[in-house]
Amino acid sequence: MSNKFFKNMFKKKESKQQAQSDSSSLKNKSINNHSHDKKLISPDKAKFISLIEKESNNPSDLKTKFITEDYTLFYIENLVDSRVLNKHILPVVLKNPNSSPSELKFQLQIPEANMTENLELAILELFSGAALIHKNGYPTVLLAKINTRESRSLSAPENESQVIGSQVGFNESLSTNESLVRRYIRTPDLYIKKLTVGKISNTTVSILYLKSIASEEMVQTLQQRITDLKIDALLDSSFLAEMIDDNSLSPFPQMLLTERPDRFCDGLLNGKLGILVDGSSMAVICPHSFIEFFQSREDQNLRWPIASFLRLLRFSAVFLSIFLTPLYVAALTFHYEVIPQSLLVPLSESRALVPFPPIIEALLLELIIELLREAGARLPTKVGQTIGIVGGIVIGTAAVQAGITSNILIIIVALSALASFTTPSYMMGNVIRAIRFPIIILAGFWGFYGIMLGFCFLLIHLIKQSSLGTPYTAPFYPPRWVDWRDSIIRLPLPLTNLRPTSSRAKKRKKYEEEPIDPEKS
Amino acid sequence: MIKKLGLVILSLTLLIGGCAEQKLLEKIGLITLAGYDLNEDGKVVTTAVIRQVDPEFQSMVTTSSAVNDSSLGALTEINRKTTKKLMQGQMRITLFGETLATEGIGSFLNTLSKNSSTSSGILLAMTAGNAKELLEYPYKNINDVGQEIYKLIEQNVDAELVTSSTLHEVSQDYYSVGRDMIIPIIERKEEVIEVTGVALFNKDKLVGQLPAKDSFYLLLIRGKFKSGKFETTIPGDIFSSNQSDSSEPVPVVLDTISSTKKLKLTDKNVPEFELQINLNGRILELDAEMDFDNPVEIEKLEKAINQSLTEELKSILDYCQEINSDVFGLGKQYRSQVRNSKLTHESWHAKYPTAKVNIKINFKILRSGVFE
Repeated sequence: MSNKFFKNMFKKKESKQQAQSDSSSLKNKSINNHSHDKKLISPDKAKFISLIEKESNNPSDLKTKFITEDYTLFYIENLVDSRVLNKHILPVVLKNPNSSPSELKFQLQIPEANMTENLELAILELFSGAALIHKNGYPTVLLAKINTRESRSLSAPENESQVIGSQVGFNESLSTNESLVRRYIRTPDLYIKKLTVGKISNTTVSILYLKSIASEEMVQTLQQRITDLKIDALLDSSFLAEMIDDNSLSPFPQMLLTERPDRFCDGLLNGKLGILVDGSSMAVICPHSFIEFFQSREDQNLRWPIASFLRLLRFSAVFLSIFLTPLYVAALTFHYEVIPQSLLVPLSESRALVPFPPIIEALLLELIIELLREAGARLPTKVGQTIGIVGGIVIGTAAVQAGITSNILIIIVALSALASFTTPSYMMGNVIRAIRFPIIILAGFWGFYGIMLGFCFLLIHLIKQSSLGTPYTAPFYPPRWVDWRDSIIRLPLPLTNLRPTSSRAKKRKKYEEEPIDPEKS
Repeated sequence: MIKKLGLVILSLTLLIGGCAEQKLLEKIGLITLAGYDLNEDGKVVTTAVIRQVDPEFQSMVTTSSAVNDSSLGALTEINRKTTKKLMQGQMRITLFGETLATEGIGSFLNTLSKNSSTSSGILLAMTAGNAKELLEYPYKNINDVGQEIYKLIEQNVDAELVTSSTLHEVSQDYYSVGRDMIIPIIERKEEVIEVTGVALFNKDKLVGQLPAKDSFYLLLIRGKFKSGKFETTIPGDIFSSNQSDSSEPVPVVLDTISSTKKLKLTDKNVPEFELQINLNGRILELDAEMDFDNPVEIEKLEKAINQSLTEELKSILDYCQEINSDVFGLGKQYRSQVRNSKLTHESWHAKYPTAKVNIKINFKILRSGVFE
């Protein structure tokens, strides 16, 4: 018995080591990705020019400049910083017409300059904003990375606003986003791994994690999933998140999309992995459990009883949002017995004028609310607000007066729509609103039995899901009692010193207490 | 294949879903109260208070009655007279006429308990006289008789003035051996309906009645008594400082704060019981001059109250034994204390009239009121 146990332990260790060696080989692979069937750079000037023009399909914004007799400069207009080009590259090349490219590399006063023999890499860099400097007779080319990128300035996150806390959000530039994270977590421990995704778009994707905390195996898995992607283009991180989810078919997101750097860093500090995608203002955090979608970063900034109260409010709002309208439909269609006597008269009086059965009435009103929301989201902000208010009042009042719906249902539908907006994650809020519809239909067919059926189905589905291999419904199932302290409530900080079990962090404790010096005391 | 099968099952279940019986709220008439009487031919007269909602009339309450052999049969009969399907799910009260109660209400309790659409929390009450007459009287100030009676009894139960008579509690007494059920009696007095007393049963037959003020003593023995107010009289001559003529009895209004009850079987052959009741309370009203700072005086008063309470309890007990209705649950105590008693309703009721109960009441005055 004990023998077996030890054997298993050794096996585990071995597999871990293997995983580590795997990771290093993978790293090499990603670096040498472009050197498979190398096309080499021609030392001859004329030959090289024609080669470049052929490989890049000679676009109209490709500029070729002959600096001296031997030196030729290639760049894509608008992708390079022309100020740097004119001030720091051209004068240097002109001053040292006889030095080799490798000597020139050290004289250039720009942050990054590389030598390469690989033509494909050179072309790729050319299109991501590098200037190629070629000298006649040399088989290498100097890559001066002087790319410029127009990007939006940092602004407050629009979809995830919070009252207390930092008011900065990610923007579309990968380097800005990385620097934002670095500003929150200033440690060499923060590890950034770069990958390229997309056959056509060649988008840079960074995996961020804290090396001493995050689980190696998880990094492995994530990296594997991203490198295995066979797609032509990656335009947004939400697309990436859906592609690498454990179950892409589920309506429930299994990775968190956030535009808040503080929420992102919070995840990293808990031992999770972060993904930043160039050109996307949304960062991905994984693994993420179901319950964590309803926690806001702001909860950490408020005092614990208030934070707990707000969390409880949010969780009850979820239940309210999913089950309130179905309960109304079921009670009025099948279970008149459960209606409290004081509510019976107003309810039946307002229902008496309505010509439809409750299920049609409820679906109609829910549809109107969804239409209003969708119209508000698609229209420009100012118009959208007006439409929302006017539409709400006009349709709401008119529908009751026309006798299409009962006024109690209007309250219920408005309440459940409002409740669904309390979810801090937009993606999850949408799901909560959408899954109400099948449950309403079930309630209309089978009453409470149908609601229970829908609830069971939902529960089974949720329990089945996983996020990067970790259970989706943790800490409730499987029960992780310690993690309950920071789940639907938030206990004081000293009690929530542990990182969540599901992130499989190497260090369980967030901070160790310093040992007291016995001599001093 | 599995997917196809799943699709077939899904579509089938959705189709079958249409078969669930719908009870749309606006398409049913809700029976809020049902009253049962027995007419001269021995048939059941059912009177139902029905709440219906119509767009034109808003909400209206009607009473309707029918004669049939059974209670549910009468409901079908009533259904013929209404435009909407009648449902019992919102029924809050069931009334029994006096003649019916004398004949026995066991079968009605049975039917009500079995009905899945009615809750076990519906209240039961007996009407003095005919239930039909009480319900069909054109009250000037009462809109909804069903609601009125429900609120009346509920309020009195909450104030601990009458025993709670939910179907659950009453049928527990009915189906278990050793305690007989009691339900409140309501009566129409001109334009108002009031609770006038308590009906005492032997098994399911009405055997006696007690006035409403005596229900305090029943509550005291049957269960926990928490906040009720009660009135008793004590002889006036105990007050030394009382100048007025001392022989007249003085009424005292008391308010209990807590009570504990201990019932013990001391001799199983007689059978003989010891009933010890400890009461803590305060004096709300006393129609005599008294010095509450004097412990001797207070002790005298406590003694007098004990005396009068004991006497009242004794007389009620005697009455109950006389009519052979064990509403105090002495049989339950007997059954729990005597091993292998194999007590049945009949065997207990053969012993019950001769049972002896020694009553000990210990009333303590904790507070005597505060002057402002």
